[in-house]
Amino acid sequence: MGSSKKHRGEKEAAAGAGAGAAGSSGPGTAEQAPRHREHKKHKHRSGGGGSGSGGGGAGERRKRSRERGAERGSSRRGGETEARNGSAHGRERSQVEPVERRVKREKRDDGYEAATSSKASSGDASSLSIEETNKLRAKLGLKPLEVTAVKKEAAGTKEEPVLADVINPMALRQREELREKLAAAKEKRLLNQKLGKIKTLGDDDPWLDDTAAWIEKSRRLQKEKDLAEKRAKLLEEMDQEFGVSSLVEEEFGQRQKDQYSARDLQGLTVEHTIDSFREGETMILTLKDKGVLQEEEDVLVNVNLLDKERAEKNVELRKKKPDYRPYAEDESVDDMFKPRSILAKYDEELEGERPHSFRLDRGGTADGARERELEEIRANLRQQAQSLTMAGPRLASEYLTPQEMVTFKKTKRRVRKIRKKEKEVVVRADDLLPLGNKTSEGDFGSRLRGRGRRRVPEAEEEREAPSQLPQSDDTRVENMDISDDEEGGAQGPGSPETLEEDQVEAELQKQLEKGRRLRQLQQLRDSGEKVIEIVKKLETRRSREEDEDPERKGAIVFNATSEFCRTLGEIPTYGLAGNREDQEELMDFERDEERSANGGSESDGEENIGWSAVNLDEEKQQQHFSASSTTILDEEPIVNRGLAAALLLCQNKGLLETTVQKVARVKAPNKSLPSAVYCIEDKMAIDDKYSRREEYRGFTQDFKEKDGYKPDVKIEYVDETGRKLTPKEAFRQLSHRFHGKGSGKMKTERRMKKLDEEALLKKMSSSDTPLGTVALLQEKQKAQKTPYIVLSGSGKSMNANTITK
Amino acid sequence: MIEVLCNIHLGKKVRVKCSTDDSEEDLKKLIVAQADTCWNKIVLKKRYTIFKDHVTLGDYEIHDGKNLELYYPIPKSVPLFSF
Repeated sequence: MGSSKKHRGEKEAAAGAGAGAAGSSGPGTAEQAPRHREHKKHKHRSGGGGSGSGGGGAGERRKRSRERGAERGSSRRGGETEARNGSAHGRERSQVEPVERRVKREKRDDGYEAATSSKASSGDASSLSIEETNKLRAKLGLKPLEVTAVKKEAAGTKEEPVLADVINPMALRQREELREKLAAAKEKRLLNQKLGKIKTLGDDDPWLDDTAAWIEKSRRLQKEKDLAEKRAKLLEEMDQEFGVSSLVEEEFGQRQKDQYSARDLQGLTVEHTIDSFREGETMILTLKDKGVLQEEEDVLVNVNLLDKERAEKNVELRKKKPDYRPYAEDESVDDMFKPRSILAKYDEELEGERPHSFRLDRGGTADGARERELEEIRANLRQQAQSLTMAGPRLASEYLTPQEMVTFKKTKRRVRKIRKKEKEVVVRADDLLPLGNKTSEGDFGSRLRGRGRRRVPEAEEEREAPSQLPQSDDTRVENMDISDDEEGGAQGPGSPETLEEDQVEAELQKQLEKGRRLRQLQQLRDSGEKVIEIVKKLETRRSREEDEDPERKGAIVFNATSEFCRTLGEIPTYGLAGNREDQEELMDFERDEERSANGGSESDGEENIGWSAVNLDEEKQQQHFSASSTTILDEEPIVNRGLAAALLLCQNKGLLETTVQKVARVKAPNKSLPSAVYCIEDKMAIDDKYSRREEYRGFTQDFKEKDGYKPDVKIEYVDETGRKLTPKEAFRQLSHRFHGKGSGKMKTERRMKKLDEEALLKKMSSSDTPLGTVALLQEKQKAQKTPYIVLSGSGKSMNANTITK
Repeated sequence: MIEVLCNIHLGKKVRVKCSTDDSEEDLKKLIVAQADTCWNKIVLKKRYTIFKDHVTLGDYEIHDGKNLELYYPIPKSVPLFSF
């Protein structure tokens, strides 16, 4: 303020000379400076009076306007108008108004000056009027604008854009200071009033220095005390007399009590939620600490509760809950009452904590009626609310629950027929015949009897089935089943209550099975027919065998043992014992025919009997054997030829006693290899006289024709792909071969990689970049038919400015 | 009701009356009524700050007399070489 005072002083001095019009205040300017300070302080006290104050006010105003004027450069005008106005009105008005008017005038002044100076706005700005705008908005589907005229207060003209009010920092600061001073003064006054009653230490009591006065005072005090005691005694006696002492005491006591009771707590705030007070609990509330100079009302708190709340808050903070909840609609029904605002998490920081509190009402009580109501409403809403979360997915149980079981109908168990015991495989034809008739109409005691359905088609099938004669057990079973079904179908209305669905299902199954079985039966039938044939054949052959056997005694009989014996050779004791039975014959059907073919060779054998004169013993055997040997198909050597032939014949026929010698097979010797490829060079053989002769010991000479012959020796090593190897690689290859093992995994991988790279290198073109840029360029050129190529620019290098400007 | 000034950099300024509850999209539509373009094709900026369509003027703290700039959007990625 000091600087401004100086400033003021200067300006006043300067302007004082010029402000001729403000005559009344002219002479006062010099004096006003010191007076001014007081005025400022006490101007709220001196209410509305005094020319001095009025003049002071005007001067102030003038000073202010002068200051502003000095800055703006239009001092005279402003100052004069202000002064005139001030002098005209200042006397009557109170001091408060000029302040307001000052502010207003400043504003208007600013606006005006801004308008006149016309700073930043340039050019025209086209704009639609409100009606047009509203029409446009209606077209676009927006609600029309609400027209408020207040917004246009500070605008100069409509055409020009509105700038912010020019802030005068000096004026602002001065205004602030003024306000502070006023506030301070007011407070001081109030304090003085409050404290004025209290005697300070500085006050002098008259009797302190003067002992006589002190003595007087003390005596007086004593007297008063005595008097007071006497009076009290008197009164008590009086009370006792009247017998109202107790009453009086009561009254007094109560009055004391009444002096401060719950009633007096009315209106106090308690800074906890009502919920924190539980029923039946007594909690001691104390006054909350507050600053000495604060004038807010008292607040009651409980210390323990405060601590608890603080601890809870700290715990919450430590939990680090996320601030940002993007899908805030998921919040519960409880929060419906709170209006959501943007960046609500900063409200505490910006606006300060707002703890829950409630007020004590009349009688110093509080009831949580309102809160309880709110709770009830919330509870109601929660009940009504439907959670949007669906039941989470559960594991499907593998087994049916009892509830689901109810939906299923009970299937009736079908009693399976016990299979008849299987008879022997050998089936007599006689057995098979009557079987077919049996199975048709037999009642097997099935429960499914009496259904009465599908009797007709089943009857057909039933007729088919028994017509198959050769039936194995299986087929019989099948037939039984089929007849079962038919039986089941033949069930009358005996049990119509049986479950229909089950029947349908079972019938379907039956039909399918029937089809399957029919197919099987077909097969069986074919095989069955074969079996029939076989059986028939068996029978006939059996009968035949018995006839044939006596005929064919002399015929040749083959059997395993006889063949074996033949290979063995002649058994010397054969036939001597006479134990030999007739050879049994198990018919091999195919050989029957052969036998008939071979029947004719019997006669030949008998011719040769003549030669068996050599051994009489053998003759008998001979007869047997000759019969057998006639069947041997190899050519008989003609006896006329010579002895050899005859011997051969005899030998062949086994007439001669020859023992078959088993010739042991000679093993090839291990020592000598049957190799024709090599020859063992016997070096000692060189010493032969004759072999030496063939040796050349001579002078060898190069051929003269090949004089200038220099062989171009190029030893090339190749790897598996055919590449020529460098000496290093070749040596590596050799050593691998020599040692019998190659490189390890890493080495081979590296080698492969190197080879690949070399291959790639070879593939690259020498005249172009790896991506083939040159080729692309050329293609583009051909396409565009220009010798150049235009490169389009990137977006990043272009700025907004470069585009628009 | 506020009045917003929009500077179309071709030497033209447009003043638009709207309310703080309007979204940027609405503001754009009002602006293009006075300028010849399509609201899809313009971008309102305040010196590199782009105003998004779905936010209201109040949220952007656009008050009476604020000045905005109108630009056309530049596509983000353009290849350097394109044959």
